[in-house]
Amino acid sequence: MSWHKQILRVNLTEGRCQIEPLNMEWANDYLGQRGLGSKYLLEEMDPAADALSPENKVIFATGPVTGTLASTSGRYSVITKGALTDAIACSNSGGKFGAELKFAGYDLLIIEGESEKPVYLHIEDDKVELCDASEVWGKTVWETEDFLGKKYADPLMRFASIGQAGENLCRYACVVNDRHRAAGRSGVGTVMGAKKIKAIAVRGTKGVKSPDPAGYFKLASEVNARMTERDEMSRDGTLAMIDVTNNFGALPTRNNRSVRFEGAEKLNPEAMHTPNANGHTNIITNGACFGCTIGCGRICHVDPTHFSIKDKPQYHGASGGLEYETAYALGAACGVDDIDAATYVGFLCNEYGMDPISLGGSIAAAMELFDIGAITEQDTNGVKLEFGSAEALCAMGEMTARNEGIGADIAMGSKRLCEKYGHPDLSMSVKGQEFAAYDGRGMQGMGLAYATSNRGACHLRASPYEHDFETTDIEGKAQVVYDSQNEVAFIDSTGLCLFPSECGWSIKDYLELVNGSCESDWSEDDVQTVGERIWNLERLFNIKAGLGKKDDTLPKRILEEPADVGTAKGLVCKLGDMLPEYYQLRGWNEEGEPTSDTISRLGL
Amino acid sequence: MQVSVKLFGGLREYLPAGSAFNACVLNLPEGSMLTDVLSHLPIPENKTYIVLLNDVKLDREAHADTIVSASDEIVLLPPIKGG
Ligand code: SF4
Repeated sequence: MSWHKQILRVNLTEGRCQIEPLNMEWANDYLGQRGLGSKYLLEEMDPAADALSPENKVIFATGPVTGTLASTSGRYSVITKGALTDAIACSNSGGKFGAELKFAGYDLLIIEGESEKPVYLHIEDDKVELCDASEVWGKTVWETEDFLGKKYADPLMRFASIGQAGENLCRYACVVNDRHRAAGRSGVGTVMGAKKIKAIAVRGTKGVKSPDPAGYFKLASEVNARMTERDEMSRDGTLAMIDVTNNFGALPTRNNRSVRFEGAEKLNPEAMHTPNANGHTNIITNGACFGCTIGCGRICHVDPTHFSIKDKPQYHGASGGLEYETAYALGAACGVDDIDAATYVGFLCNEYGMDPISLGGSIAAAMELFDIGAITEQDTNGVKLEFGSAEALCAMGEMTARNEGIGADIAMGSKRLCEKYGHPDLSMSVKGQEFAAYDGRGMQGMGLAYATSNRGACHLRASPYEHDFETTDIEGKAQVVYDSQNEVAFIDSTGLCLFPSECGWSIKDYLELVNGSCESDWSEDDVQTVGERIWNLERLFNIKAGLGKKDDTLPKRILEEPADVGTAKGLVCKLGDMLPEYYQLRGWNEEGEPTSDTISRLGL
Repeated sequence: MQVSVKLFGGLREYLPAGSAFNACVLNLPEGSMLTDVLSHLPIPENKTYIVLLNDVKLDREAHADTIVSASDEIVLLPPIKGG
């Protein structure tokens, strides 16, 4: 069985590291990663505690399939109470760190308490120690990886760390591993910063055991071969979506003032692959996480003559480039059509450890505040914070990364920023988390998915895409969102990536790999049940944290201002018509609370 | 008449040789139907895609009844599932 049945618990207050058995009963009920991590979090902390207090915990959770031979099996999740949202946070990352944690013998790593001085955690199989981090505190993610890499001189050691954004308690700081893969959303890195844990360095030699290695190899190969539609994702990455939403009329533009961006063709796959006037091509190659046979990652470089980096040779190399979400947030959301500027600010996000979606959403909100005069040049150190200004985007990226001037306000996230400047309605967020790259008017199901997502606005908590591109009619959308939320909760708990489901895998393929890894016989019905159990557990956490029906909503703009162009021209999001049916399907009362029947049916 | 069509995402594989990155121009007789436009593109039968004609999504059943003109904007989108 691929479980190691072990947890590593690190208490920062006491400076103690101990190994404990994994609760296998919970692993059977919640699988791994998102489900299991959330179960531990709810059992071990009071959800009402302040996200930045020592009572909060940070859980790094692998899944049963993490680190196996299955394609895309490098996933892990970071689960905590989110600093951005004050709701349950679960942020998923790839790269190679998750598999290495598993190879060291741990299914879960639970970090609790708060250190007096900055520390990092060093793990080499059973040897675990907390070390003084004073030499890397105040350094970027990249500098931290370089320092630790040199210190331990082991090319197979992997690192997950926070940058200065996490140290400065930027509300959407992320945990970055392998230089440009991130558990990006909801402020999971902020919680690390509050606990003063800078990084985790891990090296494992135990591997992942299978009782039938030859059989599992055959299974993994067969399932991999069923990923028949991966070419487009390998070639264009997720960026291919920008042409779809833009033409359809669902690409949030200039803080959702529009649903179409006239500059999208300067940010799309063609722009990324075509040499510019200087002969510079943005993309160099694609990149893949541990064991992945898709490789959706973009490895890109900024034109060295571009204003943003021409005097900064340290940015002339290649790193993680634009994906759809970053092209939206650092492009369309701010009305910026400069692929080099967006790529550069994306680099800053990886280097300083900021979520690019929330950064872009917060800069877009600041641009609108500037546009209506609520923020002036006095507030911005003279920067003309206008929609469409690549210079302003870069300046705000740098100031936020360093917590300087107005950057310290942008680091609070758009909700707190817009409240401070007297226009709370201008924050395009749910539960304090900025929208992803889909507009809830052009895509009505996505509107419902955003409003009901347990971690705040998110495009990866449900899969209403096909139905939304089929019709704006809301009939059936509650069911699609409900079913796909459950399915995604299951996939997020396996240790596998969600993207194979876009490249030919069905839930049966995921199931075969889980059953092969766990020697279990989960059925498709179990997928729905486990997914539903996880969803309701997250909901219970949020209710105990003080959230409820009032938070299952969307900004006024999406509910009251009709889409200006595209297939949904004239439409607002009909959330109010979908939400009651959704609550009913979930087995929740009118206040959005799971009924006692639902709780007992799911064994909660 | 000349009709221009834009194909995005993986659909661009079905552009005629020599086309731009995402678009092509087809020579068709006046009064052609949308189905005539689509028949010039070698998109396999089993491939699903969205057709937008001047910003309006057209259901498959409407393709045979829709006359196109040179000024029309025809866009074909793959129904990608997220990103
Ligand atoms: S599909 Fe992309 S995100 Fe998923 S594992 Fe592969 S490279 Fe990583």
